[in-house]
Amino acid sequence: MIYKVTDLIKIYGSRTVLDIAHLEIEKEQIYALLGANGAGKTTLLNILGLLETPTAGQIQYRSRSVNYSESALQALRKEIVLVSQHPILFTTTVFKNLEFGLKIRKIDKKERIRIIDESLDLVGMREFSNAPAQHLSGGETQRVAIARALALSPRVFLCDEPTSSVDVENQNIIITILRRINEAKKISVLFTTHDRSQAARLAQHTIVLNQGRLVPTMYENIFRGVLQTDPSGQPQCVIQDKMHLSIGGHQLIEKPKAVSVFIDPEKIVGRKPSEDPAAANELQGRVVQIIAENGKVRIVVDAGVWVALLVSQRRYQQIGFMVGETIRLSIPPEAINII
Amino acid sequence: MDLLIDSFISAIGLVVSMDAEMVAIIGVSLKVSCVSTALASMIGVPLGFGIAFGRFAGKRMTITVLNTMLALPTVVIGLFVYAFISRRGIFGPLDLLYTQDAIIIGQVILIIPVIAAFTVAAISRIDERYRQTARTLGANRHQTAWVVFREARFGIVAAIVAAFGRVISEIGISMMLGGNIRGFTRTMTTAMALEYDKGSFVLAVALGIVLLGLSFGMNLLFHFFQGRVQSQ
Repeated sequence: MIYKVTDLIKIYGSRTVLDIAHLEIEKEQIYALLGANGAGKTTLLNILGLLETPTAGQIQYRSRSVNYSESALQALRKEIVLVSQHPILFTTTVFKNLEFGLKIRKIDKKERIRIIDESLDLVGMREFSNAPAQHLSGGETQRVAIARALALSPRVFLCDEPTSSVDVENQNIIITILRRINEAKKISVLFTTHDRSQAARLAQHTIVLNQGRLVPTMYENIFRGVLQTDPSGQPQCVIQDKMHLSIGGHQLIEKPKAVSVFIDPEKIVGRKPSEDPAAANELQGRVVQIIAENGKVRIVVDAGVWVALLVSQRRYQQIGFMVGETIRLSIPPEAINII
Repeated sequence: MDLLIDSFISAIGLVVSMDAEMVAIIGVSLKVSCVSTALASMIGVPLGFGIAFGRFAGKRMTITVLNTMLALPTVVIGLFVYAFISRRGIFGPLDLLYTQDAIIIGQVILIIPVIAAFTVAAISRIDERYRQTARTLGANRHQTAWVVFREARFGIVAAIVAAFGRVISEIGISMMLGGNIRGFTRTMTTAMALEYDKGSFVLAVALGIVLLGLSFGMNLLFHFFQGRVQSQ
């Protein structure tokens, strides 16, 4: 195990941005950290990268509690490298950017040149070695920043939204690099992303944060909603004023309450509009995305809000939806979880 | 009008012929200004860097005081230093009054706030990500500070250039502490004031042309470095 996080709390001003009771991260694995904006992903990454200190709680790195004295942190930072969402390169050449960390580690000149060439090769930027770093494009900057981090042979590579600000070509290159360094160099990789499908393609494990807390879900189908009583006295959840979902039971709700709701994508049933409607929570929408994923098929539907359902490949072949077609969804109360 | 045109033509002649007295005056000016700028840079740059990079109580107040000192009149500094180095002052036995050293002391006091305040501004403009990047690449506090300093280098050079421009053109300190002694403490600005008093404009205008040329050169340099800062 590379990290063990216990009772971690981070507070900015009066706002608790992270509250994680327990989190373990295995070594030599790729982890995707998913969550909406403001979920606490970057803060968690900065804490794991030892660039920020938690307000409370304990972080164990390689089975030892992190000591937050400057000298101890500096030693640990030589094993953990973080590439931020918008990395910045020093205003010098690409070569000297990569040389910076190696010089700090007192690696001799000949070896430095070998490592720099190898790292730039890995990200396909060897020919830019003598180029001024500030003249590179966004994607090239991201790749050089990754090379600069990898040149240091870290045990842990933390990457904040590595593909969010680059074009599709560079996204694919970066994903390939992350996979390759994990497989070839056994570097533990933890990256943040909004993109569920990217997380599923690249990572062996997924961590989902919602408002600073870990949630045992797959990130999508989490909505802010209002819990209230419908005119017939039944509890219901209203999502963005567009979806009125009966949540079952006879719970008395005295006044409307803002809640986070997770709708389990595996419990949503998709039907052709011609099929008989189900009893409760019937919605109609348009298929906007279909993705094959780990033996299942993920169908994303625009039903006023975007809802994803996960069906078996067999079921998908039976119903055979295409992008753009109308689909009827039924969401049983047991699929709705107030979190 | 004729007086100005005649003086200007004669002054050009003095500049072209490199008149010995004029060259000596320019030499004194450049010498004291360069030495005072160098000394003030040695104090002002680390001071500004320490204020900008450090985290301490009263930081904002310190910066406000520093900015206020930018407006310090040269005659006030002249008077202040005079009180210390005149015969009756505590440094009286050092015989500093009416020497180039006295001018340098006054000018150093004048431009330390200029260099420090501009250095604070240059460091504060540096993106926080440089600091964070250096740390995550394993840099210690000193190495991180060096990264920030390197990134702010053009802004710091611009601060030094601005300070040189300030001292080369000041008159209060040079007059009060140097005494305008011919061939020794007579600077371009004090010589110009004297020539004006005498009603002799040729040398004054010639020195004015040189001073303007120097100021123009300094401003070109200043804007060059400022431009480099903005293009970063």
